[in-house]
Amino acid sequence: MAAQHTDRTPSPDKWGLWYALVLGVLVLLIGLFTLFTNYFS
Amino acid sequence: MTAADWIVLVGSLVGIIAYGLYKSRTTHNLEGYFLSNRSLPWGLVLLSIVGTQASAITFLSAPGQAYTDGMRFVQYYFGQPLAMVVICVAFVPMFSRLKVYTAYEYLEKRFDGKTRTLTSLLFLLQRGLSTGISVFAPSIILSSLLGWNIYWTNLFMGGLLIIYTMSGGARAVAYTQQLQMIIIFAGMFLAGWMVVHKLPAGVGFTDALHLSGKLGKLNVITTGLDRRGFNWSDQYNLLSGLIGGFFLALSYFGADQSQVGRYLTARSERESRIGLLMNGLVKVPMQFLILLIGTLVFSFYQFNQAPVFFNQTQVEKIERSPLADSFRMASQNYARIGTQKRQVVQSFARALHQGDEQRLAATTDTLRQLQQGADSLRARVRAWINSPQVGGDGNDTNYIFLRFVLDYLPSGLVGLLIAIIFLASWGSIAAAINALASCSMIDFHRRFSQRPIAPRREYALSKWYTLGWGLFCIVVAMFTYNIGNSLIEAVNILGSLFYGVILGVFLVALFWKRIRSGTAVFWAALLGELVVLLFFILSRTGVLPIGFLWLNPIGAFSVMGFSWILQHAFPPTKSPAG
Repeated sequence: MAAQHTDRTPSPDKWGLWYALVLGVLVLLIGLFTLFTNYFS
Repeated sequence: MTAADWIVLVGSLVGIIAYGLYKSRTTHNLEGYFLSNRSLPWGLVLLSIVGTQASAITFLSAPGQAYTDGMRFVQYYFGQPLAMVVICVAFVPMFSRLKVYTAYEYLEKRFDGKTRTLTSLLFLLQRGLSTGISVFAPSIILSSLLGWNIYWTNLFMGGLLIIYTMSGGARAVAYTQQLQMIIIFAGMFLAGWMVVHKLPAGVGFTDALHLSGKLGKLNVITTGLDRRGFNWSDQYNLLSGLIGGFFLALSYFGADQSQVGRYLTARSERESRIGLLMNGLVKVPMQFLILLIGTLVFSFYQFNQAPVFFNQTQVEKIERSPLADSFRMASQNYARIGTQKRQVVQSFARALHQGDEQRLAATTDTLRQLQQGADSLRARVRAWINSPQVGGDGNDTNYIFLRFVLDYLPSGLVGLLIAIIFLASWGSIAAAINALASCSMIDFHRRFSQRPIAPRREYALSKWYTLGWGLFCIVVAMFTYNIGNSLIEAVNILGSLFYGVILGVFLVALFWKRIRSGTAVFWAALLGELVVLLFFILSRTGVLPIGFLWLNPIGAFSVMGFSWILQHAFPPTKSPAG
């Protein structure tokens, strides 16, 4: 039980923002890489 | 190698071993030895996850891959951020709540003992063999380029890390990986900077990018589409990277103990999640930068003569074969094309600076034609080396970057780059043998033991398992030779044969609560493995060519499908855990 008290796991909503950030960065990177590929080809 | 190189190399390696031993103080029980008492902060977990995934092959092969095939290999990592999110949502909470030591322990709680034993056994088999290849892969390259004895190189590559891994377990592995990653990133940054520095006066970083881009090496995003539609045998494109790469990453981070064991060392569920999500954020840019070094090396060789084949050992082999004369002529032609390229590329650089679009287009066309000629000569040489008359290894991708390092980088930096090869190897091998030992101890020894084992005894046995797996990997390395076209792909192919099936079992366990029959899942896993092998054989024989990344979803969906069918035939063995 002690471990549960020290585990400051954020609420699902807060994790949702984290997940959105990671996926958003992936989409951004794919977009930037597409521009990069086209610009230098 | 000069004295300075040796000092840097030996100093780095001895320093890591000493640091590992210094950080070896663990509590003498299983949780201390295998999970560092679940006490590490997310930053350390992140570096440990990255250090476990990034082997020496990553740093050797990726720049070579960019040199030969361009940067599209980076798409292989696109599925990873997606997988990190799924793992944080489903896998981490379950592992944390049940306080498991190994991922497979969860399967016994969810289904039954035989499903746990099967998946753990598949893990031991594939991870044990692939870790042996991870010892061998950099050793054969160093041995060929530096003339070192392969057996001694294997022994140093796979043997020295056993000292701190055996003594300090997961804690020593994580702390040494932290230091290793710092040295590796610093060294790779220096190497990249040096490539740009070695370009001719007046040619800068962006000029080098324009040059490699015009010659097709900056193809970061590819669709895999050709005239006949989507090419399923194309290994790296956006779709195979997002879907195939997602399943591979899900399997590697969710069901492979060498990674699960890293984030289980975190001090809380929150720290595990942050470490994994940060890994999702940094992995793609990191791989992009490593590949970028390869394209810079490619640009460098447009201004300098490149060898027609980068592995000198194989060159010596063909020079002693009946194809020696043909090879000599091909080398002369390659050098002639190189001379022409150097003249045109100077004109290209001037046109780029002056903004002379017409001359830029003309020189680009000429360079592309010359590059085609050079590529076809290299392809011919590779085919000759592969032919029975020579009987060699016609793939030099893994040799390109290190050949450049040895030929052009200054004394001291060469030693550092060779140290990086060792350190990157040690990081991933140490994590793997720690995971192999934990599965052997927890999933087999402890589980099948007739009597309870005292904590001190379990701790001592775990050390012996670590030593045993370390020695096993060295033995595998000694016997491995040339099992795939490229060593990085060989390791991945081996993983793909088992990964999809293990992932399928975990997906059923986590997301399909209605399926409660361990026997159904057990047989579904075996049938799924047969399906994967069938697809692999069909692909290899050319009947149904598909890229190896697709084997992961095929394996996972096969297990899910067979589980659904077989659950009707077998009664439930357990109520869902968690």
